[in-house]
Amino acid sequence: MDSFRAAAGRKLIGRDEAEELGTVDHLLLDIERGRIAALVVGRGRKARLVDWAEVRSFGPDAVIVPGADALRAPDGEREQAAAAGDLDVTGKRVLSTSGTDLGVVSDVTFDPADGCLDVLHVGQDTVPAGALRGIGSYAAVVDQGPPSPAS
Amino acid sequence: MSLLMNATQIQKLPVVTVNGGEDVAEVRDVVYSPAQGRLVGLTLNKRGRFAGRLREVLTAESIHAIGKDAVMILDDSALLAPQRAEEVAGVGGERNVVGDDVITEGGVSIGTVVDLALVVGSTGEVVGYRIDRKQGGPAYIPLPAQLAVSGSTLLVPDSTLEFVRDDLVGLGAAVEEFRARLEVS
Repeated sequence: MDSFRAAAGRKLIGRDEAEELGTVDHLLLDIERGRIAALVVGRGRKARLVDWAEVRSFGPDAVIVPGADALRAPDGEREQAAAAGDLDVTGKRVLSTSGTDLGVVSDVTFDPADGCLDVLHVGQDTVPAGALRGIGSYAAVVDQGPPSPAS
Repeated sequence: MSLLMNATQIQKLPVVTVNGGEDVAEVRDVVYSPAQGRLVGLTLNKRGRFAGRLREVLTAESIHAIGKDAVMILDDSALLAPQRAEEVAGVGGERNVVGDDVITEGGVSIGTVVDLALVVGSTGEVVGYRIDRKQGGPAYIPLPAQLAVSGSTLLVPDSTLEFVRDDLVGLGAAVEEFRARLEVS
């Protein structure tokens, strides 16, 4: 297993010319499929995205892609928000679907072989990635049962 | 008994979309129908300080959950268009119980209503009132499932006096017992 926090700052290397193309800022989630959708390289106006399908190897020290062509400009509102860092899940507030604040995402683990998400670390607890319902600029929302009794 | 909250605790909570994780509004006021004993909906403010009133409202049915930290809706489509907002706001304007005197059928004044106690995470039933007692400060009283309301006075069963509680936890336990008692008598 690899983790989002560990992946931040990792080098992106183009295989064809062994060139360094940038560093991973954070990872963008595909919530419906429970996996990484893309790598966000850089932040702000210069940020570029690398679709997970372009990743040849997500190694412990570097991420290997075919070449500079693997980087593309963000497309659409959601990817623009991602480029701005608004959808970065680490450090994000977590709300349950019943409206309870569960804490902040400290890290997310995933399988570097296929980009499938494992668990979110929220405070001292872990939440299975399958419980994720939505992520936006305000919060990540996770499925959780009804609120616990007041007494 | 599910989680109980005061209406004033719900005010200012962010309204967040489950599917989007975005805070689309915040609660301005809780609209309650005393006759039906339930939450009708929520009026909203825009997010951010001094952002002002949002014309859209939420009906109780369109709320996914009211929690202690946020009001959850599935997505933006839960916001009721301004044209239909009267359906919610109209009920609130009809009558406000806050400030009403609570008097038992035996003619004993218990205090004045200062807040509502709602069951959250469900239909938003109002099961009690927070009152300011003439002697003894704040307390909670349970409500019968059906309550006759008129004027500026709430007439409650005599047995209400036995179920006055100091806090929401106590109220939660008292409501069912109180209502069971009323059904027997």
